[in-house]
Amino acid sequence: MPRPVVKEITFTLDGREITAPEGMILVDAAGKYGDTEIPVFCYEPKLGQPVGACRMCLVEIEGIPKLQTGCSTPIRDGMVVHTQTQRVHDAQRAVVEFLLINHPLDCPVCDKGGECPLQDITYGWGPGTSRFIEPKRHFKKPLELSPLIAIDRERCILCYRCVRYSQEVAEDYQLVLQQRGAASYVSTFDGHPYVAPFSGNIIELCPVGALTSRAYRFRARPWDIEGAGTVCAGCTAQCNVELTVRDERVLRVLSRDHSEVDDGWLCDKGRFSYQAVHAEERITQPLVREGAELHPASWEKAIEAAAAALKKAGDRAAALAGGTTTNEEAFLLSGLLRDKLGSSHLATGVGGEQPLDVVRALADPKLQATVPDLEFAHTVLLVDCDPIDEAPVWDLRIRKGVRRHGTKLVVASARPTALDQNAAATLRFAPGGAEGFLVALDAALSGDAGNLGGAASAAGTNATAIQEFADALRAGGEEVVIVYGDRALRGSAGRALLNIASRLNLANVANAGLLELPSTPNGRGLREVGFAAGHGPGFSTISAPGHGAEAIASGLASGDLHTVWLHHVDPLRNYPNRPAWEKALGTAQTVIAVESQLTDTVREYADVVFPAEAYPEKEGTITHPDGRVQRLRQAIGHPRAASDVPGSGVRALWQVISDVARELGHSAGTAIAGAVVSKRVFEAVPFYNGMTLDGIGGRGLRWQEHATFEVEQSDPFVLAVPASLPAKGESELRLGTFRPLWAHKDVDLSPALQFIRAKQVVELSKADADARGIGEGDRVEIGNGTRIPGTARIRAAIPAGSVFVAEGIAEHNANVLTHGIVEVHRVGPGSTDATSIPIQSTPAVEGRAEMPPSAGLPIPPREVT
Amino acid sequence: MPYDPGDDVVVIHQPREGAASGTFRAFAATLKGLKMTFSRAVEGTTTIGYPEEKTPVYPRFRGRHKLHRFEDTGLEKCVGCSLCAAACPADCIRVVAAENTPENRVSAGERYAAVYEINLSRCIFCGYCEIACPFDAITLGHDYEMADYNRSDLIFTKEMLLAEPLERTPLRTPDE
Ligand code: SF4
Ligand code: FES
Repeated sequence: MPRPVVKEITFTLDGREITAPEGMILVDAAGKYGDTEIPVFCYEPKLGQPVGACRMCLVEIEGIPKLQTGCSTPIRDGMVVHTQTQRVHDAQRAVVEFLLINHPLDCPVCDKGGECPLQDITYGWGPGTSRFIEPKRHFKKPLELSPLIAIDRERCILCYRCVRYSQEVAEDYQLVLQQRGAASYVSTFDGHPYVAPFSGNIIELCPVGALTSRAYRFRARPWDIEGAGTVCAGCTAQCNVELTVRDERVLRVLSRDHSEVDDGWLCDKGRFSYQAVHAEERITQPLVREGAELHPASWEKAIEAAAAALKKAGDRAAALAGGTTTNEEAFLLSGLLRDKLGSSHLATGVGGEQPLDVVRALADPKLQATVPDLEFAHTVLLVDCDPIDEAPVWDLRIRKGVRRHGTKLVVASARPTALDQNAAATLRFAPGGAEGFLVALDAALSGDAGNLGGAASAAGTNATAIQEFADALRAGGEEVVIVYGDRALRGSAGRALLNIASRLNLANVANAGLLELPSTPNGRGLREVGFAAGHGPGFSTISAPGHGAEAIASGLASGDLHTVWLHHVDPLRNYPNRPAWEKALGTAQTVIAVESQLTDTVREYADVVFPAEAYPEKEGTITHPDGRVQRLRQAIGHPRAASDVPGSGVRALWQVISDVARELGHSAGTAIAGAVVSKRVFEAVPFYNGMTLDGIGGRGLRWQEHATFEVEQSDPFVLAVPASLPAKGESELRLGTFRPLWAHKDVDLSPALQFIRAKQVVELSKADADARGIGEGDRVEIGNGTRIPGTARIRAAIPAGSVFVAEGIAEHNANVLTHGIVEVHRVGPGSTDATSIPIQSTPAVEGRAEMPPSAGLPIPPREVT
Repeated sequence: MPYDPGDDVVVIHQPREGAASGTFRAFAATLKGLKMTFSRAVEGTTTIGYPEEKTPVYPRFRGRHKLHRFEDTGLEKCVGCSLCAAACPADCIRVVAAENTPENRVSAGERYAAVYEINLSRCIFCGYCEIACPFDAITLGHDYEMADYNRSDLIFTKEMLLAEPLERTPLRTPDE
């Protein structure tokens, strides 16, 4: 969609001629081009249309008798604006005095104190004294708006920001303003807790201390803290964050608004799971297995043990990387295995490996869509992924496009997505049918009726549905952005995707293209620096390709592979087919794990454990799915070991890998500083050439804007119809999995998020539930042979015959189910945990529970030496 | 160019040499001084024999800090707002706040100071903390005897500041 064309106009601001783009809101134009601050409370462009609720921004415009709100007045050519007249000053003072009439002025106990727009504006524009001596409005305070957010309704100035956010940005429609006039207050309409994936953003939006974070409650004052900018490595979206640090502890995560990445929002996982960094359970020193037990060991001993095992394994060593692995770590580790040991058994994703020509073609800069494209494209196509679970802020971005720019959303997925309501067309295929769907869509777009029918039925749908979907996809316009999960890329799916892109001519249309949603936060970076079985740094050809994840598991189980290095990866939790991995890790001679907690993998199978750094401790780069190389910057020191011997605690992981390389005599793989490794990465990957850490800075650098990567153009591939889905009996269901937003080990360790930890839910269609006598919230068992318990959740949008369970969760994980065809039984009546997001009991507003105290003291008394 | 002081030169007039002025210099000036000495000698000593005796201070003297409680409820006046820490030019106050609960009510507000430390070896006794405090929870007392053998012993905790200090310093009477 063409982004709005800007025309420059000139207007007069306090007697000066200012040139600014036409139609810009006066407050913004005055601030940006006129260097004049007009105070605002309710105005926030990210929330959509201005509402003019607070009247703080009054200005005088010649020709209009009354004062006007600058936040809702677009500038026009020749407009004459005054912001410094007596009339304006009187109005501003009156508005501040009016807002303070009911504001309790309990700043000394209010968490916003010191960083409060109301305080700042009162100092800057307020009257200094109040004439109000009558009693103020009183509410019970503070209440629990949700387990994460405290609301103090007395402090609210009724600016509507939080309500507008809930209604128009997050679209969860939960917050409303109740009552009228002075009695108004913010609440959910029936008083239930405001639990939503993005609820924490209202804490940052509230211009007063009415909405405060319970996890941060009373932890620090702005003058006690330091802000440390880095990038959240919790998921692929890689939102830019600012960590609030006090005494070497992360106390809060704030957004560091980057319109090209996150648009200024964060999900609650990113906002609150920092607590895991300081969890008691963290591993803070190396462990080595002696006999059956893991024992704390010195770094020298652990490095020696790891090096000895790798040396022995030689080209029978393998490595898996995921999680917060940086480009630097991946580069060093893949170099160690490939150059020193001669093994290319390197795997990152849970998806299958695609052939090198496809991997290269998918990285074509011409085909690359960016995050802002999600908002401005004519049409966005989601292929078998749900952004809310995998890259949550993209969900908000797509909603914004649909709501404000008329972007058309079309969704093709097995499991209904959170965005279905906003979609112009949805298509459901059977779980595991993504490949069939892509081949069928390609056939529909090219008019190949022969393939269409077969591929459609291999996807578990039919030719007409696909054809209609293809028409809907084409109807919006030429700018199409295709978002696909890397799990969808199996078999010929990659080639089909490339075909679709060429049939839609995406390579030659600006602001259109493909956007991958990798299953691991730095999936793209790992691939680009050469942590892959099939290619080296920068997708270079290598002589002896290695195994992908599945083949590594079977290789370890059969004894072909001896040693595996698990870098921020927990295959028993996050990879499909847990039994196969249990066997593999059980048979492996040595398992070297880089891990922060005693997971099952570590406890049962690891022989050498290196403590993992948390992302606020890391220094390095990661690559966003749209090619933006971003910097992780160290915000806090590494934790010390329990023994407190200097140097025995957590160490930087590039250093650990470098030490292992030194022990192995691989001098090319050693480094003396993290920045040296970054430099080597930038030299080794052709399209990162010329980058520097300074150049990347705080905002990142998209390599596509500075470098080229030539991809051989080929004609559309000729595709065969994929194998049809395995047959299923009458009473059986096809199993699909999804990874809930909350399925993350850091969530498990964060006290604030305990209430929302992902539990097993079994999502099934109304028809299938009725046929089995299952009601919403009933306890059920699912499986075929192996069974896992879960809570039934009935979703109308699921087609009959499919069932979905959560993977990546701590208990009753779906990856123990190895059959794609399962049965579901009811085992008991429902309990209270009916949904994966538990809504707590819902007392009426007035009787709502007063807030229980938040968790204990975060900062210990400082040691005195 | 040689320096020319010009009009800046001040001519010092020495007393003239000679009998009368010489005698004056030898005796009269000395006697003048001795007169003062002897007249004071009868007044008795004014040296204070510290530490047995202490200098009295004025009521508004700024010495060691004290934290206060409400007399009726016994709750701490400090709510842990940290404004003193913000005002402190020497950056020697550290406050970590926590939340009052019905079971553990420490202060009168929603929050209280769980950790309150003043590093007296850094404090410059300017009294800004006292001025900043919205609840009159901290005042500067009269105690100036804070010497110690360890720097770390000069970090006063909340308990030490709350405890009623030994009133070791005499106060000056109003007419003194
Ligand atoms: S709670 Fe805060 S954001 Fe919401 S209306 Fe009140 S002042 Fe505005
Ligand atoms: S900022 Fe303009 S009315 Fe609130």
